[in-house]
Amino acid sequence: MNVSYNWIKTFFDKPLPQPKELAEILTMHSFENESLEKKGQDYILGIDVLPDRAGDCLSHIGVAKECAAILDNKILIPKINLKENKKLKTKDFVSVEVKDKIGCKRYIARVLTNVKITESPKWIKERLIACGLNPINNVVDITNYVMLEMGQPLHAFDYEKIQDQKIIVRKAKKGEKITTLSGLEYKLDEDILVIADSKNPLALAGIKGGQKSEINSKTKTIVLESANFNAKLISQTARKINLRTDASIRFEQNLDPNLAELAINRVAMLINEIVGADVASGLVDFYPNKLKPKKITLNLDNLNNILGLTIPLKEIENILKRLDIKLIKKTKNSLLLEIPTSRQDIIIPENLIEEIGRIYGYEKIQPELPCGYLAPVEKNKDIFWQNKAKNILKQLNYNEVYDYSFVDEDLLKLNGIAFNTLRKVKNPVSSEFAYLRNGLMPQLLRDAKENLKTFKDFKIFELDKIFIPQKNKTLETRMLAGIIATSEEKAQIIFSKIRGELNLLINNLGIEKVSYEKGILETTWDKQNSLIIKIKGQPIGVFGQINFNILEKFNINERIFGFEIDFEKLQSLSSEKKEFESISFHPPATRDISGLVLKTIAIDAIIEEIYKIDIHLIKSAEPFDIYQGSGIPENQKSVSFHIVYQSDEKTLDTKTIDMLQKQILEKLEEKFNWQIRN
Amino acid sequence: MDFEELKELIKKDLEQIKNSTELKEFSNTYLGKKGKIRTLFSELKDISIDQRKILGQEINEFSNLIQDQTEKLEQTLREQEREWKQKQNKIDLDLPGEKIEIGHLHPLTIVRQEIEQIFELMGFAIVEGPEIEDEWHNFDSLNIPKGHPARDALSLGKTLYLETGEVLRSQTSSAQTRYMQKIKPPIRIVIPGRVYRYEKTDASHEINFYQIEGLMVDKNVSVANLKAVLQRFLKEFFKRDVKIRLRPSYFPFTEPSFEIDMRCAVCEGKGCPACKKIGWVEILGAGIVHPNVIKNGGLDPNKYKGFAFGMSIDRLTMMKYKINDIRWFHSANLKFLKQF
Repeated sequence: MNVSYNWIKTFFDKPLPQPKELAEILTMHSFENESLEKKGQDYILGIDVLPDRAGDCLSHIGVAKECAAILDNKILIPKINLKENKKLKTKDFVSVEVKDKIGCKRYIARVLTNVKITESPKWIKERLIACGLNPINNVVDITNYVMLEMGQPLHAFDYEKIQDQKIIVRKAKKGEKITTLSGLEYKLDEDILVIADSKNPLALAGIKGGQKSEINSKTKTIVLESANFNAKLISQTARKINLRTDASIRFEQNLDPNLAELAINRVAMLINEIVGADVASGLVDFYPNKLKPKKITLNLDNLNNILGLTIPLKEIENILKRLDIKLIKKTKNSLLLEIPTSRQDIIIPENLIEEIGRIYGYEKIQPELPCGYLAPVEKNKDIFWQNKAKNILKQLNYNEVYDYSFVDEDLLKLNGIAFNTLRKVKNPVSSEFAYLRNGLMPQLLRDAKENLKTFKDFKIFELDKIFIPQKNKTLETRMLAGIIATSEEKAQIIFSKIRGELNLLINNLGIEKVSYEKGILETTWDKQNSLIIKIKGQPIGVFGQINFNILEKFNINERIFGFEIDFEKLQSLSSEKKEFESISFHPPATRDISGLVLKTIAIDAIIEEIYKIDIHLIKSAEPFDIYQGSGIPENQKSVSFHIVYQSDEKTLDTKTIDMLQKQILEKLEEKFNWQIRN
Repeated sequence: MDFEELKELIKKDLEQIKNSTELKEFSNTYLGKKGKIRTLFSELKDISIDQRKILGQEINEFSNLIQDQTEKLEQTLREQEREWKQKQNKIDLDLPGEKIEIGHLHPLTIVRQEIEQIFELMGFAIVEGPEIEDEWHNFDSLNIPKGHPARDALSLGKTLYLETGEVLRSQTSSAQTRYMQKIKPPIRIVIPGRVYRYEKTDASHEINFYQIEGLMVDKNVSVANLKAVLQRFLKEFFKRDVKIRLRPSYFPFTEPSFEIDMRCAVCEGKGCPACKKIGWVEILGAGIVHPNVIKNGGLDPNKYKGFAFGMSIDRLTMMKYKINDIRWFHSANLKFLKQF
């Protein structure tokens, strides 16, 4: 809210702090000051009134009361001296019928005659302009002036335009329409509260007046409205029709219904003084349930314990008094207090603790570290394994990227992903953020494409959540995926390298054995050049070359590789256990074998068979010199292994080694039709 | 072969040695236990003891002489070879280092890990909550009843809903009651994670960003405790003494509620563009947990109090690295990512 410093000054006898200082004081004790602007002789303070205080502080008196409480200054509120014309009675002019008693808590009407519509005096116009409102005419300006002064929104109808002189507060009928003062037409429904005459809606209750009963230069008699509506209803309607006004933001929070009467009399008094109109005597006031002050017991131990300091009782009492909160009864450690109806935000003792704390000053609270139990913090395994995997990938020169949880329709189309496999956002910001992703690859491919504009060789990964639609729920699960772009031209070299990296990653997560299998079905991958990653027989992911079809759709000409792993599965198989393996001091012996096998035979399978011969004596079997091409039959490849023999107990003799070597070759011949090659 | 012949042979061979390999071969052939000189000596059986003594002495002297010569030669050769190696393998000291690359973690990961570590050291366990929440946890449990503007899809609430009626959590606070129900007080937890808002993206707004929520519930928890924990955290995080201040604020799930500002690091409070001339930078929201939230967590609000705070990891990261636009985080741009 824009607050005029000069206006605030009028409520005090004692001088106020300078504008900047006052703004700072308000920031520290009440509401944040967002701007301070010099306008002529005045300063305008932009004050961000907190939502729970909109009911009493969206006004100059409200802000002045805050200043008074903080500074312990006496506030002077203008007196209302209303001169009524006893010959005229409001109730003879107009009747009020409230049909929706939940929607409308109070409705007051007052009639003024002999009104001459002109411009407002300069001082009113200046104050309105200073606070960001446009002057319209004297009557409207005075209602707005009082709203800015006291916080009560008010409305003035042209009496002649009210059909049958009847004001009815009711829910709108379906199909009814209203054109507001700003000239916009709104279609109404049964959830919207309106002020109507016997025929038509005249105003959107608590939000905006309508054109039909608008005041203009011909207006002679006016009906003033000062009401109190159901805050929730006004809030919902304003949001529903997307029209938030100075009136609605005040009604949306709990405005004091007792304020309505003061405000309407203040307006009548000002119109009478400024315009010289006749004020009909009495009010038409619908107010079935008068709001009475609440009583709350404040426990003083609680107050001091929660704030973490001890405020002297005298000081507490003083602060409460400054806040207009009445002390009714005092016991040893509690106070029974009466809360003014203007402070409907104060409901529970904690609200009072906040009031006392902020006026006393939070800066007086000395920091004090909590003390008590000393127990080790339980490690979060999910975060531990994520961090571990991320760090390994970092060491392997992968760069971590973050993508949105949302995918856009175009990207899904490029990847050939059916929309019905994704969870849709009900109210997406745009089509770019319409679906929750159910995989990481589409976005990573786009990231790759973008980065290929600048870089040739890079590796990126993402470890984050994807979302899988289930019946009425959406499952979130973590995936790990990566993309490898490289200027290396030999696919085999890239492929073997990635496979080695995946082995390293998985081994370092405490999983000894990884195996790979052919038979990928997902269309993202080039089936010929991709493998399924398996741990203990369970498939946990895939890796390999991205399908050229998809790359073409992305306009990527380079060969791109990637991997995608179900991280939750991987994590469930990971282990922190480690055990020392004894190191043999006996000399190892290395022998090589070379042979021809069918192209389709996996090297891992051969290695596995070699180890099976003697798991203790065969220390390692490392493939080298794998070759296919000229000199080798079409469907075969030449493979060589370094085999290291070593015993933990003794130096192996040639005889033993020769025997093992023979067994290996026999086994390989039997299993893989291995043909020895010299 | 007699001794004289051997002497001649040895002298000749010695002269022809060109490198250390040859020298080693020479030593192996003639010197040592199995060398030819020793062998010759052991063959002196058929001669008298006196002759053997004389000849033995002669052989010994000769052997020592050769030993000396080989040692000298060895040294010479080694020096020659060292010189040659040095010449051969000349290093250009002016060439730059080869570019070795290691990967980079995302700055949000780095900062998140740092934050988590500090809180862990202060005794806070790290827990996570679901990103897809039900309305009860995201709103009702946090004292945000039906009809409250914060629940709105558009206008004020900025909440994103799924077609199933589920909610993309709008704050990590939604996990508060989950853990109150799960673990008994004393509770000290931090909840990091991604949150969602209906927001058009710009330099300081994102549709999804990261928060870390803190919650401490115990019999006696005060604003003084909250102040101390946050001050210590900020001190560790920014690695310098920080000044903080508490301002009144409003959140439905805390009472009293605060906005917490940190003294601007750029101008030390004098006022500069970085802090919009205020001298303070808003850094987090906090408060004493509202009794209704404690109740919704299955605890007795008369017995237990708590403090809670929430801050944006994105914001702390932007402050730490002086990043000017939040959209960099989801750009996947390697020119950005490789800087961290």
